[in-house]
Amino acid sequence: MVKNFYLTIIFILSASLAFAQNATLKGKVIDAGTKAPLQGASVHFDDYKNGVLTDDKGEYTLSNITPGEYKLKIKFIGYDEFEQKIKLKTGQVITLDVRLKSRNVSLATVNVFGKMDKESESAARTSEKNANNITNVVTAKVMERSPDINAANVLSRVSGVTIQRNTGGDEAYAMIRGLEPRYDNTLINGVKVTSPDAKSRYVSLDVVPSDLLQRIEVSKTLLPEMEGDAIGGTVNLVFKEAPDTTLFKVNTQVGYSQIFLDRKFIDFSKAGINPESPSQLHGDNYVAKSADFDRSNLDFQSKTALPSTVIGLTYGRRLLKGKLGIIIADNFQNQFYGTNSQFNPVAPNPQNDYKPGITDVSNLTYSNQQLNNGLTFHADYKIDDRNQLLVTNVLLYSYLAQARLSIDTGIVGGNGGRNGPGTGTVTNDDRSLTQKELLENLKLEGKHILSKHFLFDWAGVFSTSTRKVPDEADISINHLIAPDFSSTPDYFDGITHSWQHNNDRDESGLANLTYKSKIKEAPLMIKIGGLYRHKDRYNAEDNYLLQPLAGPAGGKQQFVNIYSAQDTVYNPKGSAQYDVNNYTAFEDIGAGYAEFKISLAKLDIFGGVRAEHTSQGFDYATFIPSLLNDVRKSYTDILPSLQLNYKFSDISQLRASYFSSISRPNYYELVPYVNDSFNGNPEMGNPALKHATADNFDLRYEIYPHEDEEILVSAFYKTLYNPIELSISDFGGGGNIVVEPENVAPKATIEGIELVYTKYFGKIGVSVNYAYTYSNVKAPKPVADTVSATNQTVFKLESRTLQGQTPDALNASLLYRDKEHGFFVQLAYQYLSRTLSQLYADYGSDYYTKAQSFLALSAEKSLNKHFIIFGKFNNLLNTPTTIQINGLTIGQNIYKANYNIGLRYIL
Amino acid sequence: MKTNKFYLFVAGLAVLTALGSCSKEKNTNVTKALPPSNPITAGNISGFVKGTLLTGSTYTVTADITVKKGDTLAAQPGAIVIIKADAQITVDGVLQILGTQASPVSFNSDTKTPGSWGGLACDSAQAVTIKWAHIDNAGGPDPTGSPRKTISVGVPIKVDIEDSWITNGQDDEIGIKGGAQITILRNTIQSSGSTDGEAINLKTAITGDVAYNVVYSQAGTAVKLETNADVPFPQTIVNVYNNTFVSNGWRRGAAEPGRGISVGVNAVAHAYNNIMVNNYQGFELFTDGDAVHTTYGNNLFFATSATIIDQTVTPNVTVNLVANFYPSDGVGKAQTTDLVNIDPMFNSFNSSFLLPNGAANPNDFHLKAGSPAIGKGSTNFGVTTVVKPNVDLGAYPTDGTGNKH
Repeated sequence: MVKNFYLTIIFILSASLAFAQNATLKGKVIDAGTKAPLQGASVHFDDYKNGVLTDDKGEYTLSNITPGEYKLKIKFIGYDEFEQKIKLKTGQVITLDVRLKSRNVSLATVNVFGKMDKESESAARTSEKNANNITNVVTAKVMERSPDINAANVLSRVSGVTIQRNTGGDEAYAMIRGLEPRYDNTLINGVKVTSPDAKSRYVSLDVVPSDLLQRIEVSKTLLPEMEGDAIGGTVNLVFKEAPDTTLFKVNTQVGYSQIFLDRKFIDFSKAGINPESPSQLHGDNYVAKSADFDRSNLDFQSKTALPSTVIGLTYGRRLLKGKLGIIIADNFQNQFYGTNSQFNPVAPNPQNDYKPGITDVSNLTYSNQQLNNGLTFHADYKIDDRNQLLVTNVLLYSYLAQARLSIDTGIVGGNGGRNGPGTGTVTNDDRSLTQKELLENLKLEGKHILSKHFLFDWAGVFSTSTRKVPDEADISINHLIAPDFSSTPDYFDGITHSWQHNNDRDESGLANLTYKSKIKEAPLMIKIGGLYRHKDRYNAEDNYLLQPLAGPAGGKQQFVNIYSAQDTVYNPKGSAQYDVNNYTAFEDIGAGYAEFKISLAKLDIFGGVRAEHTSQGFDYATFIPSLLNDVRKSYTDILPSLQLNYKFSDISQLRASYFSSISRPNYYELVPYVNDSFNGNPEMGNPALKHATADNFDLRYEIYPHEDEEILVSAFYKTLYNPIELSISDFGGGGNIVVEPENVAPKATIEGIELVYTKYFGKIGVSVNYAYTYSNVKAPKPVADTVSATNQTVFKLESRTLQGQTPDALNASLLYRDKEHGFFVQLAYQYLSRTLSQLYADYGSDYYTKAQSFLALSAEKSLNKHFIIFGKFNNLLNTPTTIQINGLTIGQNIYKANYNIGLRYIL
Repeated sequence: MKTNKFYLFVAGLAVLTALGSCSKEKNTNVTKALPPSNPITAGNISGFVKGTLLTGSTYTVTADITVKKGDTLAAQPGAIVIIKADAQITVDGVLQILGTQASPVSFNSDTKTPGSWGGLACDSAQAVTIKWAHIDNAGGPDPTGSPRKTISVGVPIKVDIEDSWITNGQDDEIGIKGGAQITILRNTIQSSGSTDGEAINLKTAITGDVAYNVVYSQAGTAVKLETNADVPFPQTIVNVYNNTFVSNGWRRGAAEPGRGISVGVNAVAHAYNNIMVNNYQGFELFTDGDAVHTTYGNNLFFATSATIIDQTVTPNVTVNLVANFYPSDGVGKAQTTDLVNIDPMFNSFNSSFLLPNGAANPNDFHLKAGSPAIGKGSTNFGVTTVVKPNVDLGAYPTDGTGNKH
């Protein structure tokens, strides 16, 4: 399939280069009122053949024109169309400057159906202004000019959006208004995309290159037509669409991370990695031997990292007299990045009044190489003015090779005696893994104007994603440093090899019928629709433990190197048939809604109700006697929504909104499989977990004084029922602890304000957005009661913020734009205040991420009509992620700065 | 069920009445005349099992066994259980193994090699009683590749393990957490743990007594006490007295040496009258243990060689055994009542240090007449114990009230 796409690219390229050199028409398009150059206006002759878009300076050039007489058309959204007949002779170069008049009519979505909208190119501001709900929009132009290489970085600049990142990896999930990713949903072209990740419901934003994006819409309130499982909001990644004119762009970039200037990149051989486990290769009854396992992937080598490279290609044009539009984009990234990380878990220290004390000191260094390739294909075919078909295919491939070196010293518990820093039993736990993810998402949709009053649209979405981790290998060795700092030799403590595989499938069908009319003079819209989705997941794991053979005289084997280590396969048939990580899970959703919008002179009223029925469940591959098997759950939610938009004038309006929404538990949260341990305690899913529901109230006042300028002030209040948080539980057994997702508190409240301000002073622009969010949860937590006669653990109600909720988020950008010379600079600053990142076991303390400030610089300069050089410099302040408890630093992830320079070619 | 019991009761009364005229010896065994509940037929067993393993019967466990919650698995004296295919016995109900000195119950694998069956997984059991039983060669890997404990408990129940032999396991022999109340008396645990594992590992809120046990050649520590680090209360508080711990802690390597007794993570020990010989380290009170409430004394420490050089690794590791009686990285200190570096004069001892997993134990740790350990014990160290501490040190006091093996 991939091959075919590339062939298509080559075919179209050859076709478009076949024009003969002839007459030229060029000029500049400006706003008749402000005289500002208009960028992105479409300039073309009567057919679509060789149309172009105006550039940043408002300039256009139409070359290769066969001499003759043409009707020139210039269109720009929000402006009157310009039309003029023009005659061109051989070799002639004509300059024609055009002033377009701004149309002072609103681009309201409420119109009686006439022609199919082309629904693109409208500026972000216009989208925000005319949306039915409360949105923030980032456009491709903004992304190109900001220092962001993937969707995650872009989103971190949207008001009220913060990005959650995991240690060591580059995975990133959007958090809207400080709510954890679980409360938000991420869409690609308006539909959910299955995640190949074992833990997350949504695709990680780092695999979506920003070059593929036309825009990102962040909806903070929901309409009944939108899926109801978003309490914080919805992030919609809208991929590029076929343009009116031929589009061809090439983007190349090289970069380097400061971390690999400061230390070496750790690499390992991938040559011996077996894609399948011994039992997958030879059958369930195969008795694996030590020789069946690779050793070279545990032979870690220090190397100098290569530079990161990015290559992007975008090609689009319209064919068949403009009826068929296609756009193909491919973005390839080869990135090298690393993390230096320290995490010291804490527990109540009985020798210091039960205050949190460090129980373990661990240092981790991650070296990652990640290859991403994103290929998107989008085609729209206008059957006629009233019927349109669209096809969108997104194919993402991601490969990760990661080496993790870990040095760990236990302070509390264990078998070593630590007597001061630098002593005790030191365990080296080194891991290598390679991971392949493939995500394929095909959407077919149709829009049909049935009559003057009725529009019918439908879509079918087929999505699959797979993730394979062949032979994640881990070796453990240890030695003891005595109080006099003398050290024992290294001892071999075992090797694990693990094969993981999961596959997710989504099949959705949705249909909507829209009726538009007028009551007296007020436009009325009524819309009904429904959705059915079946999702399922297959998850498999096969683990092997290689135990060291006893050394001479039956003692522990000394570790010299990986090739001389002697071991035996402790579970020679693998764990596949018994592993709780072998399960299938499903989720079926049926939803229907009805909504209306009536536009009075000053007031738009939008309201309706949505119903969603969910059934979820899972089955283990084999019966697990100690756990719940074959779990089935189902529930129905009725979700009303009302949006009011009062227009004071053309440039200012007030919105008020109420909606109800839900958050479903992720698969892995229901299935009680044992996960990586969390501070030494096992983390498990919880089949009893309830889905969260919320009532949401929003107000926003908007002013759009001029082009490129906006002021948005908003406030919101949410009541969240059954919020889901990761919690330490099961104290009943006298301290037999499990960490699991739970509905810790029956309810949480979240309230906040947001401000967005964008203004240009000549060439200098300022863009600031700030969100303040206050959340409150009251939930019981244990505390050591030393006052009563017998020492015991009692529970006290703790009042705190929601897990993962950031109180203050500030994004500020200073922009310099000199359209004349094609020179742009952006300095972007982001501030995130202290955030509760994890719940601590005991009352009165929690793990907080320390406040963070980030600075990024990006600049670009046009060299000529076709070439632009650019530079993107991220994390210039070398901001680490620091975890604290009671102000005491216990963990830190250091990523360091990242430097990229690149060249962009535009046809 | 109720009616059944009633009939049994009536039948019992009838028997009593009938035998009333006979001699007194005969009616003392009246309960024995009752048939066992759910007798299990000798032969192959697997799957969900409940009932009684009968005297003189041999059972072969062919696949994992589960005793459901509410069910009981009982064993009469002399029952023999042979476990095949690395199977495990999971007990979610009641386990009641009642052997006698004359006819112990036996659990062993068909191959009789160390680590060749799963063990007694009583993690969610309702009660565990094991008396006079051989539990040998357990601890084989579970299907996910983790070594298993020979006996594991994870719930706050009564756990009573007495007069039993536990040998040749692979990890912990008795691993208990989750608030259990324990009585671990007069057992012999030997040559267990492949290259890791404690003989008696007590974590998270365990209370009770460990007394008159012999632990020989365990990979890790003979008795290890901890409270859960995240939950300081309830604490693990255990009395450890009159035990004999010999040649332990060598198979885990110098990086993680084993001890006779270790007390860590907010745990409290009351450790008296123990004999510790040739252990890698002796009594370790870790810096994170509850040193305020832990009490100890009257313990005997001895090494047949003051230092030994471990030549199995390069560079060689020199172990100073005398310095290790109270290791320098801990906060425990020799007490005036201790007998430090004094030979306890066992009946026989081969002066072993490092031995392989599954090694034979040819020694006799009874005390010779004239042993300095005789009469040096404390019979009252300020806490209530389930059995009387003895004035002689170790598991074999001269009055014969200790270990019967």
